[in-house]
Amino acid sequence: MDKLIEILTECCPGIDFRNETALVDDGLIESLDIVTIVSELMEAFSVEITVDDLTPENFNSAQSMWDMIQRLQ
Amino acid sequence: MSFTSFTYIAFLVLLTVVYYCIPKRMQWMILLAASYVFYCSSGVRTVVYLLFTTVTVYAAGLLLGRLNAQRKALSDADKAGLQQRIRHRKKAVVAAACVLNFGMLFLLKYWDYTAGLLDRALGTALPRLDLLMPLGVSFFVFQSVGYVIDVYRGKQEPQRNLAKLALFTSFFPQIIQGPISRYHQLAPQLFARRSVDYEQLRAGIQLILWGFFKKLLIAERVGVVADTVYTSPSSYPGSILALGTLAYCIQLYCDFSGGIDITRGTAQMLGIEMTENFRRPLFAHSLADFWRRWHITLGSWMRDYVFYPLSLSRPFGRLGRWSRKHIKGKAGKILATSLATFVVYLLIGIWHGSSLKYIFFGFYNGIIITTSLLLEATFVSWRARLRMEEHSRAWSLFRIARTCVIVFIGRYITRAPRLLTGLAMLWNTVTDFQPAALLSDTVLSLGIGWTDYLIVALASAVLVAVEYAQERGVHIRQWLAARPPAVQFAAVLLPLLLLLFGTGGDYVPAQFIYAQF
Amino acid sequence: MTAKKWLVMFVAALAVTVAVWAGFNVATDPYGVFGDRLLDFYSYDMTRNPRVAKIAWLDEHHDAYDSYILGCSGSSSIPTEPLNEALDASFYNMIMYGADLLDLEQMADYLVENYEVKNLVVSLYVDNAVLYDVGEDSLDSRMHAKVSKKPLLPFYLDYLFLNPTYGIEKLKAYFTDTEMPQTFDVFDVETGAYDKRLRDVEPIGSLEEYVQREAYQVFTDYPEAQYGVYQTENCVKSLTAIRDLCEEHGINLIVVNNPCYVDYLRHFSSEGLAQFVHALSEVTPIWDFSYSSISYEPRYWYDATHFRNSVGEMMVDVITGGDSIYVPDGFGRYVTGDMPADSAYFEQDCSQPESAYTASVPVLMYHHLSDNGEDTSDIRTEVFRSHMEALKAAGYQTVSLEDLYNYVWYGTPLPEKPIAITFDDGYASNYELAYPILKELDMKAAIFVIGVSVGKDTYKDTDFAMTPHFSWEQANEMLASGLITVQTHTYDFHQWPPFEPEGSAVRENVLPLEGESEQSYIQAFSDDLSRARQELEQATGTRCYALAYPEGQSTLLSGAVAAQAGIQMTFGTVPQTSTLVKGLPQSLLNIPRYGIDDITAEELLQQLGG
Repeated sequence: MDKLIEILTECCPGIDFRNETALVDDGLIESLDIVTIVSELMEAFSVEITVDDLTPENFNSAQSMWDMIQRLQ
Repeated sequence: MSFTSFTYIAFLVLLTVVYYCIPKRMQWMILLAASYVFYCSSGVRTVVYLLFTTVTVYAAGLLLGRLNAQRKALSDADKAGLQQRIRHRKKAVVAAACVLNFGMLFLLKYWDYTAGLLDRALGTALPRLDLLMPLGVSFFVFQSVGYVIDVYRGKQEPQRNLAKLALFTSFFPQIIQGPISRYHQLAPQLFARRSVDYEQLRAGIQLILWGFFKKLLIAERVGVVADTVYTSPSSYPGSILALGTLAYCIQLYCDFSGGIDITRGTAQMLGIEMTENFRRPLFAHSLADFWRRWHITLGSWMRDYVFYPLSLSRPFGRLGRWSRKHIKGKAGKILATSLATFVVYLLIGIWHGSSLKYIFFGFYNGIIITTSLLLEATFVSWRARLRMEEHSRAWSLFRIARTCVIVFIGRYITRAPRLLTGLAMLWNTVTDFQPAALLSDTVLSLGIGWTDYLIVALASAVLVAVEYAQERGVHIRQWLAARPPAVQFAAVLLPLLLLLFGTGGDYVPAQFIYAQF
Repeated sequence: MTAKKWLVMFVAALAVTVAVWAGFNVATDPYGVFGDRLLDFYSYDMTRNPRVAKIAWLDEHHDAYDSYILGCSGSSSIPTEPLNEALDASFYNMIMYGADLLDLEQMADYLVENYEVKNLVVSLYVDNAVLYDVGEDSLDSRMHAKVSKKPLLPFYLDYLFLNPTYGIEKLKAYFTDTEMPQTFDVFDVETGAYDKRLRDVEPIGSLEEYVQREAYQVFTDYPEAQYGVYQTENCVKSLTAIRDLCEEHGINLIVVNNPCYVDYLRHFSSEGLAQFVHALSEVTPIWDFSYSSISYEPRYWYDATHFRNSVGEMMVDVITGGDSIYVPDGFGRYVTGDMPADSAYFEQDCSQPESAYTASVPVLMYHHLSDNGEDTSDIRTEVFRSHMEALKAAGYQTVSLEDLYNYVWYGTPLPEKPIAITFDDGYASNYELAYPILKELDMKAAIFVIGVSVGKDTYKDTDFAMTPHFSWEQANEMLASGLITVQTHTYDFHQWPPFEPEGSAVRENVLPLEGESEQSYIQAFSDDLSRARQELEQATGTRCYALAYPEGQSTLLSGAVAAQAGIQMTFGTVPQTSTLVKGLPQSLLNIPRYGIDDITAEELLQQLGG
């Protein structure tokens, strides 16, 4: 999880990833960020994230991203 | 029938009455019938294209649904080969649906232009189709293909009732100019059973009035100015060209968003809420932000069905890994995404029409957005040097102004009859501005009189004020509903009278035919 | 407010809006359907739709008329005045643009049913042969439902819920309305004809110059077309109905076939035309003016299809057997049913050589004469004498203004090599120096006097000395010789700024002053002309009908005012030879003149072209 937060903060500095729970819905991260994050995650965690996984629910919080990674591993 | 015609209003009133009076299980059928009446009123023959899309998409949905079910029935360990086969088949189905529908769109919209280009380049004599353009073809094709892809991705169960799917592809308020709806968002509402909801009726009527206000009072007037200037751009100095382009910007926004308001208002009268397509683009602080506020449903369609798959595709993944390794800093990280962004804007450009100018327009947007991504850090450092706070009013005003200018320049290209004309006009605006012309009689020779300019100015002021309030989070209609009845009455009567007396454009009385004699 | 209440309120607001809408249309009444009580601007309403507005107007005013002219727009040029005189009637010109025979039949029915009708002139145009029951979709060409006998309610509803822009346009026109016709009010409400006060004072001269004007270039490149399907049968049916109606009610029916420009006539086959005229003449005799030498001369036409008012005067003269004005040979034939269809008639060449009906007359303009010639604008007496002698020797024969007038109005021939001599301002030297020479050489001349200066050697009411002007007694002496005509140079529209009180507006010519309203200009100029006329006619006992414009300046508006004041000839200062056209009074307007100063007789002859 810490590793995830680290990656996220590097991609999108200035966002409190530990506490935000509506990253996509509130427009804090946008499609470009999502794609950047996804490519970093795939590299770091050796998972394959597909288009089907790119739903707002999966990216609204660090926790939901973590859950997604767990699921895909 | 045009949204601003009496026929449409009569149609809508009649439909609303019938819709709420008949048995609820038949409500969606009435919507389907109304949609086809509406569509056919603009030409019966072009309905075949709509039917073609409906049927192909329906079939693709069913096939994909069956394949999805087959795949689910397989156990994980079970026959990796079989899984693979199903995946291939699904791909084939979705590809076929796309090829058929986008192919139709291409033939209708782009073939004649492409053939022209090829003929010139290769000296061939390709046949021209010269087909009658069906109403809203780009919209219903995109919306329908979106549905197929959703089923392909397993996000959506296929619609097994052809008539119901036909309603989704043809729903009349949106067929002319969108918004491009998603199946899961719109379809359940279309088939729901409803009783009269006065709140919804009021909201719908208010939205429609607002749309009329924008279209008839503003767009139709400034449209005349834009048309006059762009019909003979070489006869005007730069300042008038700029005025004409400004008029076009206003026209485009008021006409398009006004039309969407009427669309959404119409749907709301029938109890159906449609997605927003505009979110006050005037207040966008960057070009990317502008595109998230302007024609939102096209942007999100592109994001979900082009940008994401493209960015996550293998070649782009490889490119991303390569660039991160070989190019230092931020550029290396975002090269692949930038490229995908670029492709999206190119497609958005081409979506607007078949002409070199739209391709250029795509490049223009793509280049500015990717460049600003790459240079983001630089801008931040500039801002720091200028001692501007990130959230300061001055900085945000500057960003809004900057975005306006970028959009404004882009409009030269899309409105001009040809790319080169647009560029020449832009050049003249810069090199031969002649500001004095703005105070000369030239301004009054552009097709509308000073009273029209006054109406446009006042109406635009109201528009900007309302949008500014909305931007600040004020809910205008709630605010209005809390006013005294007299004020509310005035707020309805005044616009109605304005529409009655202030409607320009199409309604200019016939010329005196024997005036010369 | 609850949403339900809001909806009720919305419906109420809609109702108010609809009421305002209808009220506005009734009040402004752009088509005159509702009686135009508020603005009383029928000339506007008729311009929008003559069919509807004229009925609305006649419903109120038909007592003033007992006879009607029915026809399409060309019929506007058939004048009511001479018809009234000849038939002891009072005519109303019920022209409706683009009228076909069904329109005429319906209109005749309505008129006879509702008003008193003694005479009916049905005026046809070749178009009627191919256009019948054209339809009336547009608000502008719709027949009044009372006339077409269609349901009244939908008719009135259409005009009740007219787009308000029409009313706004009418209000705009109402507030920019002037004395003279503009594009939005082309009708003369009283006669029902087009208001041609401005068009009929457009000066016309040579053909070359005429067809160069933007409005008349159509004649150099006339549009081509071929009309095929003939509606003769329907036309016969309608004309029969009109004839029977007239017989039944003892109404005098006159049917005329309007003149047609030759290139337009060629859009039809000569067989078709002959058949059309013949078939109609079997119903009732027809005055056929469609084809004649008039058809060949663009100057007799307002545009590609509409003949001038002066041609209409000729038609009435032919019909009433008046023989009181010039009419070219072969203009108008009386076709009766026993005559066979004659397609050869439309194939013959009716054109006339220009010399048969036009004349070129140089007009000279002199001012002051003096024996010593200290002033540059003067001409020395001996030079003037040399001019006159040289003209005479060169074979020129002087003509009076009356001669020119008679040529145009009655076709009275002019002598070989005619020339007219004129003097402006009315200086005493004209009487003292020029008149003896003219008398001696037996040459005619015209003098245009400034009314206020007659008999004076000081400027108006001041003590400022000026070149002396001859008196009315001296004028009468000259008139008595039969050689000299005295006409007007305005009463006081040729003022001399240095002698006028400082700061006052100076009228150096007949143009409006800067910033002067049209209304006050028309008043001032027509007052001036009527004073000039009154004094001249009283002092000399001759008619005042010619005006030389001070400084040669004029506009269409001044021409219209002058015409209203009875001026039939005007003179300008453009140095060229005038062209007069028989039967075209407009060729008497702005007649160009050579301003002559101290040049030798040879130079003069050279200027006149040898």
